Amino acid sequence: MKKQLFFQSAVVSTILSYFLIFVGGLVRVSGAGMGCPNWPKCGDGWMPPTNIDINQINTTLAWIEFTNRMFGVILGISIIILNVLAVFYFRKNYNLLFASILSLIFVIVNGVLGGVLVWFELNPYIKTVHMLFALILVSILSYICIKSYKMINTTLFKGLKKNPILSKSLIVFWILIVVEILLGTGIRTNLELVSIENPLLSKGELLNALDSYKYFHSFLGFTLFFLSAYIYSKLRTNKLYIARFLGIFILGMIVVQIFLGEMMIFFELPQLTRLFHTWGSSWLVGVVIILYNCISNEYDK
Amino acid sequence: MSMINKKLIIAFFSVLILGIIGLFTIDQATQSRINNLSVISEVPSFQLDNFDGTSFTEKNLDNKITVASFIFTQCEGACPIMSTNMGLLQKRFSDSDALQFVSITTDPDYDSSSVLKEFSDKYSSKNNWFFLRGDINDVVKLSEDGFFLSASLLPTGHSTRLVLIDKDRNIRQYYEGTVDANIIELQNDIVTLINKG
Repeated sequence: MKKQLFFQSAVVSTILSYFLIFVGGLVRVSGAGMGCPNWPKCGDGWMPPTNIDINQINTTLAWIEFTNRMFGVILGISIIILNVLAVFYFRKNYNLLFASILSLIFVIVNGVLGGVLVWFELNPYIKTVHMLFALILVSILSYICIKSYKMINTTLFKGLKKNPILSKSLIVFWILIVVEILLGTGIRTNLELVSIENPLLSKGELLNALDSYKYFHSFLGFTLFFLSAYIYSKLRTNKLYIARFLGIFILGMIVVQIFLGEMMIFFELPQLTRLFHTWGSSWLVGVVIILYNCISNEYDK
Repeated sequence: MSMINKKLIIAFFSVLILGIIGLFTIDQATQSRINNLSVISEVPSFQLDNFDGTSFTEKNLDNKITVASFIFTQCEGACPIMSTNMGLLQKRFSDSDALQFVSITTDPDYDSSSVLKEFSDKYSSKNNWFFLRGDINDVVKLSEDGFFLSASLLPTGHSTRLVLIDKDRNIRQYYEGTVDANIIELQNDIVTLINKG
């Protein structure tokens, strides 16, 4: 019962954090980052103004940014509840306790970092760190999810054959996907910088003006495709349904992301594609953590 | 239907709903940018002189997008920053003929044509930036009644805002001329005006 409650709390926090990444991405693609020109307040009050504002705040953009902040607070509360449960039930389980506390630290730090981002008027480097911390946060939360799930369903994970090479390739995959996402935000940043200096360039011309590391992003994308195909092939006959499912998920998501990436080049970066390109990739970060812990059968020792 | 299939369908619809929310939000944000540029008022008629001696009236605003400012050359605070920012915009849009720049001096006693010419040489890199002078009463009237910008205790009391005027002489928006984020915003709005008229 306790374990079940803790597991559910972890799942809620994880889903909320993915949702928050989505809303954060929406802030970025709609250019609403400075919608509230200050932090933590938005304009003169804690809530954005509702009608035309004398201080020239674009109220639509303010509300988009405010929604992002509000969901950040909701996620924060959800993680505080997770920590309360962890302290009450799992004082002796250092893995879960430590991971819960770490997730609390990361959600607070990333919230403040969102404020720093506004103070520094959307400095691109802080933007990237903000994204990186969000990815680490979903990784920690995914870890808590799968660990507590395994505690509830110990029998399910018994008698699995270990595959050290597969485990290692999942670690490599996690590192590469994080690098790939950060490279993607780097491309976005560079596009913005080139566009500031050359406001009259079309999106297609902007892409051409980019540094050569856009090719590196594509190259790494295809590397990830082959790696995910390998992971899928190794998991195809796995006894665990969840492992087989996640194997297909990873391969499928990589294919979708490559497709979306190419779409953005041919259709000049429609904003919604950008949003799902980033968001879908961020799912892979947590899923790989779950898969890694699924196939490492510590209960057999 | 199995549990897993049900979950997949829920997941699919969640993504679909998020997509619709995303599209709607992006569309609203784009719309709000255009609405934010709604017409504030029309620039009234005026007559001032460019530093090269030619006359500059409201008719010179026709068929050009104009960025206007009030400055004076001896100013040591905001004006150099405002003018540097306008020079930056002039460079970035140098490939476009749709844009022009206007700076009106609030110190016509000191800022003679030759002084303005010197100032122009310092900040302007193209002949689409006009430095205007005229009777101080005309300047005050244009600032206060035409642009709704305070002009008390001149020359120092001029506004530090940049004014965006469309090709039909309509004032569309104001920007703090010394704040980088506002300059980026102005730049984006110029692009919006060039693209959408």
